[in-house]
Amino acid sequence: MTARTLPAGTPLDPQRIRADFPLLARTVHGKPLVYFDNANTGQKPTAVIEATSAFYREHNANVARAVHQLGEEATAAYEATRDKLARFIGAPSRNEVVFTSGTTQATNTVAYTWALSRLQPGDAVLVTQMEHHANIVPWQLVCARTGATLKAAPITESGELIVEKFVEMLTPDVKLAGVVHVSNVLGTVNPVAELARECRRRGIPLLVDGSQACPHMKVDVAALGCDFYTLTGHKMFGPTGTGALWAKREHLESMPPFFGGGEMIRRVSFEGTTYADPPHKFEAGTPNIAGVVGLGAAIDYLEGVGMDRIAAYERELLAYASDALAEVEGLRVFGTAARKAAVISFLVEGAHAHDLATLLDHEGVAVRSGHHCAHPLMQFYGVPATARASLAFYNTREEVDRFVAALRKVRKLLA
Amino acid sequence: MSESALYRDLVLEHNRSPRGLGALPACTHAAEGDNPLCGDRLRIELALDAAGRVQGFAFSGEACAITTATASLLGERVRGLDAAAIADLDARFARLVRGDCDADPALDGLNALAELRAYPARRKCALLPWATLAAALRGTPHATTEATA
Ligand SMILES: Cc1ncc(COP(=O)(O)O)c(C=O)c1O
Repeated sequence: MTARTLPAGTPLDPQRIRADFPLLARTVHGKPLVYFDNANTGQKPTAVIEATSAFYREHNANVARAVHQLGEEATAAYEATRDKLARFIGAPSRNEVVFTSGTTQATNTVAYTWALSRLQPGDAVLVTQMEHHANIVPWQLVCARTGATLKAAPITESGELIVEKFVEMLTPDVKLAGVVHVSNVLGTVNPVAELARECRRRGIPLLVDGSQACPHMKVDVAALGCDFYTLTGHKMFGPTGTGALWAKREHLESMPPFFGGGEMIRRVSFEGTTYADPPHKFEAGTPNIAGVVGLGAAIDYLEGVGMDRIAAYERELLAYASDALAEVEGLRVFGTAARKAAVISFLVEGAHAHDLATLLDHEGVAVRSGHHCAHPLMQFYGVPATARASLAFYNTREEVDRFVAALRKVRKLLA
Repeated sequence: MSESALYRDLVLEHNRSPRGLGALPACTHAAEGDNPLCGDRLRIELALDAAGRVQGFAFSGEACAITTATASLLGERVRGLDAAAIADLDARFARLVRGDCDADPALDGLNALAELRAYPARRKCALLPWATLAAALRGTPHATTEATA
């Protein structure tokens, strides 16, 4: 039986979920794998692996070009994911969902096709101190070309956005704001609906980086009230190289194409070219068809389990892990927001993050160490790097226990 | 005793009590190095004699056990050596951590880092002190592991 048959109201059974993820059964350095690097990328359920390989085995053809049977099948499978994704994130229209290679391409699409032509010297883009580089560097690049400046709203020591400051910084020079929905380093869940309301009141479009939200909670872009929402498929247990930009129709209509080529045109002549309507206008060239089909399977899988059930389970697991870590001497957690996803950045006194990660790996525990593509956040905390355990719905209390035991052992070794 | 081949007892011991940690009052050459992959920074200060031989070696910075132990062992090993001899050791150490040889007597205590052959992702941690030392000897104030990979 798969997780999809769970009746409503039943709590999530991680053992049944785990059975759907073949990689979780492997060992590392002779120890059972404890995969706590989910914020980096998620593991893939059999359903995703099968959907991708079944596409190549049975349906492979290019999309939107061929009238033959295989072409119809490939197009239908590719477009079916658009419907699923639109529903999954609460998009009012499937035509507002543009497939990209991930969040990075989605954000850059907005930077180059929306922001570049609008920003003027003296204008500003407002982000926050806790952004991933993917929501910093694209704005720096367009600012450098337009003479606009990038500003960052401050956070508290506990890793929460100071909302009043963010609102205060929404001055008339700000032409676009960007905020991460869930921080990949701190786990902080930002009050996006409230921020979007403040932005709307001032006529400032808001882009939300949803990379870390989509795998862990119900997302409803219409209810959030933002203008742009970016996501990446591989963190949602789908294939790498998949993702999407959701944008309000009026924005997509006003934006010129990013890449030019096949697929995105209506009619091409040397006198001039007219473009396809959104979303196809932004999907030049042959897309990652098999990947998108796999992403559809990932969405089916997540919906089968239920995002609310996943969120409830992870909330409980985070509380368990936080309590267990509080008992480890010399351990400091970065990010203790009241609303927090199951991401725990930490350091142990006297131990460098890389040493922690390598030695935990020897115990079979995969965590990430480093700056997590968030240099400004590391600068805020005054550390070069942290270790990070990021949990998912297939992780268990027993794994948390093994992680904590391994951590104690590592601490002793380095002391 | 350590069960880890990478974190051998000698490495752990040099990380716990690094030799030459701090600044050098009689410093004649210095450089800062960084490892952009992890944000680690290291400063090496040298006192060279008239013949260009290392008479004093000190390092400081925020770095992992592999970087710290390497810098500590490196400082001990290069005392009395000139730039040419150090460049020779540098090449030997690069061969060691790439796994081109099992051990090299010339490297002395630095052989404790041989297991880096199995940890390509951590090799740059050990190369940072070498790159920083080379920069100091050359008279360039800044080094990065990105160029030495
Ligand atoms: C918050 C956040 N934004 C953006 C990204 C970039 O995602 P991708 O590399 O898949 O484009 C990531 C993941 O690395 C992330 O965690």
